[in-house]
Amino acid sequence: MPRRARKKAEAPEKEKRSRQTKPKAKAETPRIGVFVCQCGSNIASVIDVDALTKYAKTLRNVVHAENMNYPCSHEGQEAMIATIKGKKLNRVVVAGCSPRLYEPTFQRCVSQAELNPWLFEMANIREFASYCHQSTPAEATEKAKDTVRMAVAKARLLEPLKPIELPMAKKVMVVGGGIAGINAALDLADMGFKVYMVEKTETIGGYMALLDKTFPTLDCSICIEGPKMVDVGRHPNIEIISYADILKVDGYAGNFKVKVRKNPRYVIAANCTGCGECRDACPIEYPNYADMYLGVRKAISIPFGQAVPLTHTINRDYCIECYKCVDACGARQAINFDQKPEEVELNVGAIVVTIGYGMYNPKDLEWTGYGKFSNVFTALEFERLILAAGPTGGKVVRASDGQKPHSVAFIQCVGSRDINRYEYCSSFCCMYTLKHAVMLKEKYREAIEVYVFYNDMRSNFKGYEEFFNRAQKSGVKFIRVKLENRRITEDAQTKSLTVYGETEDGKPVSAEADMVVLANAAVPAETGREVARILNIPLGKDGFFVECQPKIRPTDTDVPGIFLAGACQGLKDIPYSVAQGSAAAAQAACVLSKDSWTVEPLVARVNEELCSGCGVCESACSYRAINVEKVGEKPVAKVVEGLCRGCGICSSACPMDAITMPNYSDNQILTQIQAVMEKRVRKRE
Amino acid sequence: MPLKVLKEETAESLMLEWVLHVKNYKLTVNKNKCVGCQICTLACPKEAVTLEKHPKIQGEKAQKARVDIDLTKCNFCGICDVSCPYGAINVTVDGKHLLSVLEKQSFPQLVRDIKADAHKFPLDREKSEVVCPLKLIKVSFLTADGKTVDPSSLSESERQRLNVKVDVDKEHCPCCGICEVKLPNGAMYVHKFLSGKLSINTTKCPEGCTDCLDVCPITGALYLSDSNSKVHVNEMFCVYCGACKAVCPVDDALELKRTHINHTPVRSGAWNKALERLTSSTEMSKELKTKGSLKARESVRKRVGLKGEENA
Repeated sequence: MPRRARKKAEAPEKEKRSRQTKPKAKAETPRIGVFVCQCGSNIASVIDVDALTKYAKTLRNVVHAENMNYPCSHEGQEAMIATIKGKKLNRVVVAGCSPRLYEPTFQRCVSQAELNPWLFEMANIREFASYCHQSTPAEATEKAKDTVRMAVAKARLLEPLKPIELPMAKKVMVVGGGIAGINAALDLADMGFKVYMVEKTETIGGYMALLDKTFPTLDCSICIEGPKMVDVGRHPNIEIISYADILKVDGYAGNFKVKVRKNPRYVIAANCTGCGECRDACPIEYPNYADMYLGVRKAISIPFGQAVPLTHTINRDYCIECYKCVDACGARQAINFDQKPEEVELNVGAIVVTIGYGMYNPKDLEWTGYGKFSNVFTALEFERLILAAGPTGGKVVRASDGQKPHSVAFIQCVGSRDINRYEYCSSFCCMYTLKHAVMLKEKYREAIEVYVFYNDMRSNFKGYEEFFNRAQKSGVKFIRVKLENRRITEDAQTKSLTVYGETEDGKPVSAEADMVVLANAAVPAETGREVARILNIPLGKDGFFVECQPKIRPTDTDVPGIFLAGACQGLKDIPYSVAQGSAAAAQAACVLSKDSWTVEPLVARVNEELCSGCGVCESACSYRAINVEKVGEKPVAKVVEGLCRGCGICSSACPMDAITMPNYSDNQILTQIQAVMEKRVRKRE
Repeated sequence: MPLKVLKEETAESLMLEWVLHVKNYKLTVNKNKCVGCQICTLACPKEAVTLEKHPKIQGEKAQKARVDIDLTKCNFCGICDVSCPYGAINVTVDGKHLLSVLEKQSFPQLVRDIKADAHKFPLDREKSEVVCPLKLIKVSFLTADGKTVDPSSLSESERQRLNVKVDVDKEHCPCCGICEVKLPNGAMYVHKFLSGKLSINTTKCPEGCTDCLDVCPITGALYLSDSNSKVHVNEMFCVYCGACKAVCPVDDALELKRTHINHTPVRSGAWNKALERLTSSTEMSKELKTKGSLKARESVRKRVGLKGEENA
């Protein structure tokens, strides 16, 4: 320790320089080429590109400078390659737009010119000069010159780097077994990858499995999802891990280590045939979540008939342990009351997150009377009522007296489009309300009056507007009201309801209804926060996962190798969840189909001699990419290359100056600062 | 309509309810019938029932322990209903008193072996009805043409021709057997469904405390001795419900052991556990062994075909 301290105190500069500029010592003299981009008029209309090019030529080591219209175009790239080769350039600077957008393009171009792609530097004279100083072109040109000078200064010190290759596990985990997850899993499995489908509840299927019909075609939901669920269950490449929780995810693209806890069902999956004899023997019933608590299920049962896997589950919160199920199961011996939670470790190359959404409980919206008036339902409760396999056998009846309603009012935007609750539009409520309205009207015709209290009818995808027309033609009464001042009252005797609203021009409207159905907001999944923490992926302000880029990378997360699909990324209906499931599968396959995972070499490097193992870097890193480990006796910080994003926080936090960032070394950054200050200092003098 | 879980308590009753769209589960504790004994707390498989002692007020009689049911634990199985010796708990599904635990043979019924011989009853309504501490015996006298009459207003010969009708509210009867002793010989036959041992440790029992006596619903099962003003047990009438134990202020002053419960035959883990809690592990294993040996005997009999032995 004293020796090291002395060494650092005596010759820090020398030490650092010799370490950081080692490649330069060996390398030949820099021959820098500067390509100034006009970017149509984006840059050239403000900045004097000719002057800038002329200026660039005056900089030390610059052997070539030219301005081009679109160096990012095919032609531009060809020209650049020719110039690099012709003039034997060994450093390339492009003065143009943002490296976030175009650095990969130019790096590819540089490597096609047989130059190491990390011997390339970008000067952003568009966002930093032309865009922000449009009214002062002369100053903007000066700033562009500063920026180019900085880039050239850094280019002199650039060192060639090699990309890091990491091993690739050709397996994938799909989190959540809703319709998006099912499609992602089937696609990936068909491509030949091993898929682990981890599902929190007892069965896959998600919300779609609970629906009666789907809009706008009115085909039976479970009839179209059921076969897909069965396919997942039977696919040789898919392993369903249901009734399970994800505890921990470590690692990086190509090599995630996942710890999953299988919760005890108290039924041995391998022995359970799903015959249901235990269910018939069981004396205990409890409210069934899958029926939205309208109906009951047995303490040993499956949530609904088409469940996959068909393995029964004992709910020990309600079971009285009479062991009648054990007797009924008999020789199959599938019941084990001593089952314990089981932890399994998975090694996967990619993760597709499809955890879906939840439903808002409108109890706290007092004007709805939900929870207080017995004939006020949520849409999903109504769905279970109208479903033939539901608790009432498909009979739409009131809760108060079991009678068929003669009028039903649907109320839109309950909780959604409300800045005090959920600001967003829940996106599918308009369409499912149309579906419910049409189903009621086409089934009961004149015997039922159907009202829809809406504010805006959003029917903006294929076949949806036509469906709206069908609803109007079938005799559904649409009443447009403001979202404010809506309320529902109940007649204490008949338990019938009156819905009040206000039209856009302030006129009061009302309708009497035997039953009211609320289109309650869809909300982020309850487990969203937990999943975000475990996977280290960001959640948006609205509680849904944030995609990497909302337009061109809608299924990627910020973490390479983790993808999003379905409603957990943003509320969407079935066709779009299906499409996004397949999209995420394709994205995941892009990772999995590689033999190794390539990481940019811009990851932290630790000088093990200087490192004291203090752990400051470990706590500073937000990617869990640097950990203190023991090397022999000495604790030393180790970088997990697959996780490091090259942000450099560890490097600046390190009290021993033991961590460097390749091509962002102290020396390189100081040189850039010197370069930008140079002229100012001279001016002041 | 969302699931409603309700709990209401009045001076008369405690009511728990699950209201689902298609089903309704209701549990009612009749506080007038409930004596605050321990049976339901021990029988409940979910440990949802608890007893709470009332704070003692100096100079006043002790009050029976208050029963409370945790709505988050209760699953409306009805085991408390089935096992209550006083019939104070009523569980209904959609308003019907049909319990799935009985139907599926997951729990036995208590066997209340009560027989009344109306001919041997005295021709005095008051006198016959008053013997039952819980007022469960109803006697009526009918003339040949079916009219209800008061025998005291009739002549001796008319009295001899009366039809005596005895109604015993068996559902609420804990089978103490007082009626058997106090009514003329043979008028009533009562076999206890709970047996065991209740004793008072006189060294621990505090002087002057009559809490147990105050709450005991069976007059005569506990009594105050004249000699040392301490409470004593008359095991002839004790039904081993444990209402006394629930209010006793001193640990181990009252020793209660239940040894046997007379019940309909059943094969159920829930019953075995309830039995273990109500009696003891040894008593439970005894019952299991008996069941086992009966089963063995049965199978041997089947195999060997000794059908004649059945009558022997």
